Amino acid sequence: MGDLASYRLSDFILFSETVYYRQFELYNQAVWPLHTVAILFSLLLGYALWKKPAWAGRVISGLLVVAWLWVAWDFLYQRFQQIHVVAEYYALGFALQAGLLASYGVIKNRLTRCTTSQLRIMISAMALFVALVLYPFTPLMIGRNWLQFEMFAIAPDPTVLATLAILFIYKAPKALYVIPVIWVIVSGMTLFVMQ
Amino acid sequence: MNNQHNQFRRRFLQLMALGASGLAVPRFSQAGTASFITKPIPSSRERLPVIGLGSSRTFNVGNDPLGLDNVAEVMRHFFNAGGKLIDSSPMYGSSQTAIGYGLKKLAKTKAVFSADKVWTWDHDESPVQMEQSRQYWQVDSFDLMQVHNLVAWQQRLQTLARMKQQGQIRYVGITTSHARRHEELEQIMKTEPLDFVQFSYNILDREVEARLLPLAAKRGIAVIINRPFQRGELIDALKDKPLPDWANTIDCKSWPQFLLKFVVSHPAVTCAIPATTQVAHLQENMAAGFAPMPDAAMRARMIDYVEKIL
Repeated sequence: MGDLASYRLSDFILFSETVYYRQFELYNQAVWPLHTVAILFSLLLGYALWKKPAWAGRVISGLLVVAWLWVAWDFLYQRFQQIHVVAEYYALGFALQAGLLASYGVIKNRLTRCTTSQLRIMISAMALFVALVLYPFTPLMIGRNWLQFEMFAIAPDPTVLATLAILFIYKAPKALYVIPVIWVIVSGMTLFVMQ
Repeated sequence: MNNQHNQFRRRFLQLMALGASGLAVPRFSQAGTASFITKPIPSSRERLPVIGLGSSRTFNVGNDPLGLDNVAEVMRHFFNAGGKLIDSSPMYGSSQTAIGYGLKKLAKTKAVFSADKVWTWDHDESPVQMEQSRQYWQVDSFDLMQVHNLVAWQQRLQTLARMKQQGQIRYVGITTSHARRHEELEQIMKTEPLDFVQFSYNILDREVEARLLPLAAKRGIAVIINRPFQRGELIDALKDKPLPDWANTIDCKSWPQFLLKFVVSHPAVTCAIPATTQVAHLQENMAAGFAPMPDAAMRARMIDYVEKIL
């Protein structure tokens, strides 16, 4: 396995930017009308975070679990793996994160302690707005085909960003941040290397 | 020792002569147009066109119908222009499947010179992986199977030698695209019975001229060159610079032609495998496979010019 040291990240990014974004276009066409469910997820998340009913922590955790599992299975494993040889490991990571969220937030119901820091709330709210509202419009903003949009609970990046925002609001344990933060690094480097 | 030296000298001169004859005297088809330049594989004398087709990144399109049809279109122009060798690897995502789609669509599964790689650390997995690759390509068998990036090369070369003996493949090779592994590759080239070796070489990265290319010539190993454009970076750097007037004398009308002619005109190089997604680029690349080719003096001039403008 020592041979792995001779590889660079760019040696594993063996697809073009065009092909990468085309995957989202084909994926969106394939999963339509699941986007309506994703929008309902986003609305429910927003409502639970805003009104903070007693069931909020458990329901938010459940929504995140479903989102992470769906992205792991249908996008990373079924589609992204076609062009990226390590995508199955990404899918495993996403499934693991779903397991952690299910254990902590759904089964143990411990996603309950909200932050009181205004700064944290503001940062989280902004990140959540970007993940749930702005992210799908990115292709339009940068002149790509609008069908290549990425949406919370459908595509990995907005799902991870929304999760990080929620974990930040809820004072979640550091263990829940590990996989999302690794994904931010991996995805950021992938986008950088592709250009 | 003297005898060995003389053998090497004879072998090298033979190769130089073969290379020079192939380059200097283009054969003409009945239609009167110059035919594609070919060079012999030293171990068999079978001739290969000097421009092949790589598939890293470019053919990895997943199951996108538009992407697959585009790959087939690039392949159609490649074969029409006289191309033969296509190179891939299990590491390149869905590239093998895309090649298989193109070969089937174009009815070229018999005509292609199929060059693939085995890329696994797991000994038991290697035959399974190669069979899977063969099915992806939709060919009866591979012409050339190479050990990808020296991965577990001792075991893999033994397996490939056995497969060659049993007629499952025709040629055995080994590859790397990492300069830091050239020393290890050199040792393998000195000791192992190889038909092909594949590494990176271009007008700026010429380290292989010192040892690996002369060694390939000495040992009678065919050489496939990957990354002749530094993965496109050379083209990007040169695209706004003027081609020199004297590029006309070697019939170069574009930078890709200039860069490819430099690579394939080295006497020890058998072929280069530029990769592309665009038919126009493919056509430019293939145009580099025709005479006239640069001689040693012209090659030095090409290096000097490129180093000055970059």
